[in-house]
Amino acid sequence: MSLLLLGMSHRTASVELRERYAVEDARPVLTKLVASPEIDEAVLIATCNRVEVVVWTHALDTARLRLRSLFERELAREGAARPDELDAALYELVDGAAARHVLRVACALDSLVVGEPQILGQVKDAYRVAVECGACGPILGRLYPRAFATAKRVKNETGLAERPISVARVAVDLARQIFESLADKVALLVGAGDMIELALESLRKHGLGGVRVVNRTPARAAALAARFGATAHGLDELPELLRRSDLVLTCIGGERPLLTAALVREALRERGHRPLFAIDIGVPRNVDPAVNQLDTVYLYDLDDLASLAEANARERQAEVERAEAIVAAEQQRFEGWLGALAAVPTIRALLARAEEIRRGELERGLAGLELDARAAAAVEALTRGIVSKLLHAPLSRLREELEGEAGLAHLEAARTLFALDDEGTSSDEDPDEGS
Amino acid sequence: MGALELHQWTAAAYLAGSVAAVVGLGVRGRRWLRFAVLILALAAGLHGLAFVALHRLEPTPALTELPLAVSLAAWLLVLSFLALQLRVPGRGLAVVVAPAAFLGSVFAAFSATPPDARASGSALWSHLHVLLASGGLALLGVAGAAGLLYLVHHRAIKRHRVAPHSALPSLESLDRANALGLSLGFLLLSLGVVTGVLWVETREGRLWPGGLHANATLFAWLAYSALVFARFGARGSARFSAIGSAAAFALLLVVVVGIGAVR
Repeated sequence: MSLLLLGMSHRTASVELRERYAVEDARPVLTKLVASPEIDEAVLIATCNRVEVVVWTHALDTARLRLRSLFERELAREGAARPDELDAALYELVDGAAARHVLRVACALDSLVVGEPQILGQVKDAYRVAVECGACGPILGRLYPRAFATAKRVKNETGLAERPISVARVAVDLARQIFESLADKVALLVGAGDMIELALESLRKHGLGGVRVVNRTPARAAALAARFGATAHGLDELPELLRRSDLVLTCIGGERPLLTAALVREALRERGHRPLFAIDIGVPRNVDPAVNQLDTVYLYDLDDLASLAEANARERQAEVERAEAIVAAEQQRFEGWLGALAAVPTIRALLARAEEIRRGELERGLAGLELDARAAAAVEALTRGIVSKLLHAPLSRLREELEGEAGLAHLEAARTLFALDDEGTSSDEDPDEGS
Repeated sequence: MGALELHQWTAAAYLAGSVAAVVGLGVRGRRWLRFAVLILALAAGLHGLAFVALHRLEPTPALTELPLAVSLAAWLLVLSFLALQLRVPGRGLAVVVAPAAFLGSVFAAFSATPPDARASGSALWSHLHVLLASGGLALLGVAGAAGLLYLVHHRAIKRHRVAPHSALPSLESLDRANALGLSLGFLLLSLGVVTGVLWVETREGRLWPGGLHANATLFAWLAYSALVFARFGARGSARFSAIGSAAAFALLLVVVVGIGAVR
């Protein structure tokens, strides 16, 4: 039995390629997958950064072909990748490596922005869908909850989630250093390009009181504002809007700074002493650097934000290492459990062999004696007790060792020493039921 | 356990709170700051018990004695800080409040109090004077601490040297703490001055005793009057208020504690 993972992610495939393998509804795919004889369990995760299928299979080679065919024929939309392109984009992981990958994905260690919180919700959704359509069994049903518990440990025991590295997040966190709450603050976004759109999305997510978009072309501002529930304005309204805003983010074309020190000073006169946080991510810069000299204005340009993001990334490296150690420990726990599962047939065979010997010897011994029922029962109990006590220590030790690396060697030794034949026994049972 | 031992345990708890707060700010760990606030709350409880034990002593030491008055101000400072947490998010203030409380309680714990130090004049006015003036000192201490942290934080943000996940409170929170401490503290300090005048009147039969302590206190009160007017009357900036609060509190400390200790 093997754990197999096949997928593509932001590390191996471009966004154009990933788009062609986007999955809107995983249910029909999972239903078809588990209907295949070689696949026992399956989970499919599809986000904008990855498409991955994880299966538990009793026929590894056939399952490989089945998953490959899934990507080639079932998931591919129009304009699917060429075989060589798909080969380069797909990665395959088996057993321990696959389990480790699932844990790392849930902990956002494999994310584009390491430590981002969204991925855990997406993995939980993928698992829920698999459970709902009956594609999840005891193995993946153990692996995914273990992944969620690992993600919780990483969140609680490391500072990974507290170190944002995207420019928009850094800007929001800086704003929190200035303002007590963002809920009653108004943001003014100058420009309507991609950067402004990203920032708008991030600001909305963090619950700003109001957002206004200003652009040279009011129609573009209006289109962007409509998408995010903001209001759109022309550049001529800038001085007036500046007076009523707390956070200004600019990214607009132009040779000269749009926000001059004189313009901001004029706005401050009517604002009283309320602080103004200005973020200039335009190249060339849209805000005159002299603005930062004004008492209640805090100006950050792209370089300032990038250096903060870099500093965070450096600090996060230590946290990433701590998170990886947690993942490794949890992976070992899962593999120990999986190993113990593999030991069930051996344990059962050993118990059966002992019982067989006990019965044989008991019958032979009792045949020459004329014991009453009470005495016979006492002898029976005595033999049971001896066998049980003799086997207790080796079986307990075997279970313990299976949690570690030497577990399989011990299992093999037990099978050889006791000459066990485990044919015809099932391995789908919980190891704790063995005794 | 005696009053002195309780005061010593209180000082030790304030020291532990100071360490937790400094570590919290150093490693930017909010859990450490929460822990520091918890320790401060426990220490404030111990401090209260120490005052109860003092009250039961025979003869009861007078609150007008400088070590006890400073200890009372330190206790009220911590209580004000804890009460402030209900209105303004600012656990980071513990980094200033806890060491100040530690110094105040150490001063009381290791200063000898005369065996019979009953204050002369009206006990009512003397107690009211000490309570109100100590309360004022505590709240103005909160304002000064908030002002000091505001200046540090403002400078770091201006110079782009702040970490986005810094454990310091936001500038707005610090400014609100400053305004709250300044307004309430000035009110209590003013009432403390008035009750002090009434106490002197019952003791000496005149309204103003003169002397270094009284004149310097009046000077500090005038400085605070100007600051309060600039902040609330003339709508001065948060930074101006922060500088003024920190400087005026330093002056008040010199006047109340410094001159008192020299005498």
